[in-house]
Amino acid sequence: MNDSLSIPNLIMNASLVVQLVMLLLIVGSIASWVVIFQRSFVLSRAKKAHRAFEDRFWSGVDLNELYRETPPEQDVVGAEHIFRAGFREFNRLMPKTRSSQAILDGVQRAMRVAWSREEERLNQHLIFLATVASSSPYIGLFGTVWGIMGSFMGLSMAQQATLSTVAPWIAEALIATAMGLFAAIPAVIFYNRLSAQSNRILGQYEDFAEEFHSILHRNLQGRGDREAA
Amino acid sequence: MARKERRVGYGLPVVLAIGLHLGVLVLSLLHWPASEPEPSSASIVKATLVSTETATDQAQRAQEAQARAAEAQKQAEQDAKAKQAEEDAQAKAERQAREQAAKQQQAEAARQQQLEAIEKARQQAEEAAQRRAEEAEQAAQRQAAAEKQRKAEAEARRQAEAEKQRKAEEARKQQAEAEKQRKAEEARKQAEAEKQRKAEEARKQAEAEKQRKAEEARKQAEAEKQRKAEEARKQAEAEKKRKAEEAAERAAQAAKQAAQQALDQSIAGEEQAIANARQAAQAANGFKNLVKRAVEQAWIIPASASNQLRAVVHLTLLPTGELVDATIQKSSGDPTFDRSVLQAVERAAPFREMRDLPPSAQRQFRDFNLDFNPEDVR
Repeated sequence: MNDSLSIPNLIMNASLVVQLVMLLLIVGSIASWVVIFQRSFVLSRAKKAHRAFEDRFWSGVDLNELYRETPPEQDVVGAEHIFRAGFREFNRLMPKTRSSQAILDGVQRAMRVAWSREEERLNQHLIFLATVASSSPYIGLFGTVWGIMGSFMGLSMAQQATLSTVAPWIAEALIATAMGLFAAIPAVIFYNRLSAQSNRILGQYEDFAEEFHSILHRNLQGRGDREAA
Repeated sequence: MARKERRVGYGLPVVLAIGLHLGVLVLSLLHWPASEPEPSSASIVKATLVSTETATDQAQRAQEAQARAAEAQKQAEQDAKAKQAEEDAQAKAERQAREQAAKQQQAEAARQQQLEAIEKARQQAEEAAQRRAEEAEQAAQRQAAAEKQRKAEAEARRQAEAEKQRKAEEARKQQAEAEKQRKAEEARKQAEAEKQRKAEEARKQAEAEKQRKAEEARKQAEAEKQRKAEEARKQAEAEKKRKAEEAAERAAQAAKQAAQQALDQSIAGEEQAIANARQAAQAANGFKNLVKRAVEQAWIIPASASNQLRAVVHLTLLPTGELVDATIQKSSGDPTFDRSVLQAVERAAPFREMRDLPPSAQRQFRDFNLDFNPEDVR
């Protein structure tokens, strides 16, 4: 079993179509792993940054101070981004309208937009993982079927069809399926894991947005009462 | 605040992914150390025809006959005197026949001795021919010998009656017979060179015909001789010479015709024989390959069999191709292997193509051996 059946040997001896399939699968596997690593880093950092921001937000610091502390708009991500979008909208609307309901609507809209940007940023490339996960087994299977077809064509010329004449070809063809699974299994696992992670983070953002919204609402309510009095 | 690490580039993930794949590849290489490719080879059951009766039997017989003829020729050559004397006698006789009968008288005594020598040589040659022709020719040869004896007696009688005529006749006879023998020799050589049974038969026929024609010629010559002997006493020597020449001519013609006929027949026979032999050989080869392939297909080599094992199976077939019996002639020493071989033969068994073979090829495949050797099967 160990003669001439080493994996590199089999890959080198495969037919052109099977080799192309294998190349495609290797590229897919590498790309999916790049996505897996990159997304893992992004999500873990986003989680960390969110925790740090929340700590700071609930530490009793003045909101205006917090707003001034944060850097210009384009560099901000995560909950900070939502906070800045909402607070900026709030500050802009405050002098223009008296209606607290209109201010709250504008703030909510701005925060929703920011949240949606964050969602897009977090879920970026995860679709690629899903594609690799679902398609690479089929691609590998195609390579296997093609290889076995070729092996049977070759077999028709052989004099005696023993197991030893069929085995190398079939092993060679099955490598394509193995590689397809090799690419697909991590992609499936990490797609599920990463998308769950990003959903959880997005949920936290949403919670934060609601909380911030309620703070602003409370402020406006106080002001309205004062004006009414 | 984690401001600096907010943006995550793709450099590190790419490096990590490629490193991971290289690690997997290295692991796979470690698990399967590279080894030299196994030389692929085709497995073949070697089928050899080990029949006692071979297709070239006829040729062998012809070769044997040739060898015997060569021995006989050597014997004949060994008494070189006799042959030289014969040749001298032929030359002289020809010359004398062409020139004058008067000189024949002078060479009389020498020629008689030569005649005896020639008779011996001829008998030896005939014996050789008899041996060659074996069964069928013996009777004819005996007849020929008896006739020759009779002829010798007649010659003796004639010698007493008319010495000159007899000598002339004998000279002519020698000539004719020598020529006949020479031509027969040529025909025989050609026929033997082709080693065909039919050539042999044709030669036999040709010889028989030649002898018959020679007998006829001789009889005619004798009749004429006797008639002429009576007339010759009265007639001049010139007439004798002329008639002698005529007789010689006739005998030579007859001999030539016979030789020509024999040659034609032998050539035709050879062609047919060659065509038959080729056809039979082709059919036999095809059948052999077919049996070989069928048995190979049906052979399941046992797992325990090593490449050194080798078994010879003896097959007995009906003319319809059915297997009568298969026995291990030479055991491999491994009973499992022997059994697998027998099973393969039995599984492949009805070789229906046997019916398509010409009968001569069929006969040789009634019994034959198959040689099983799993070398390079794995």
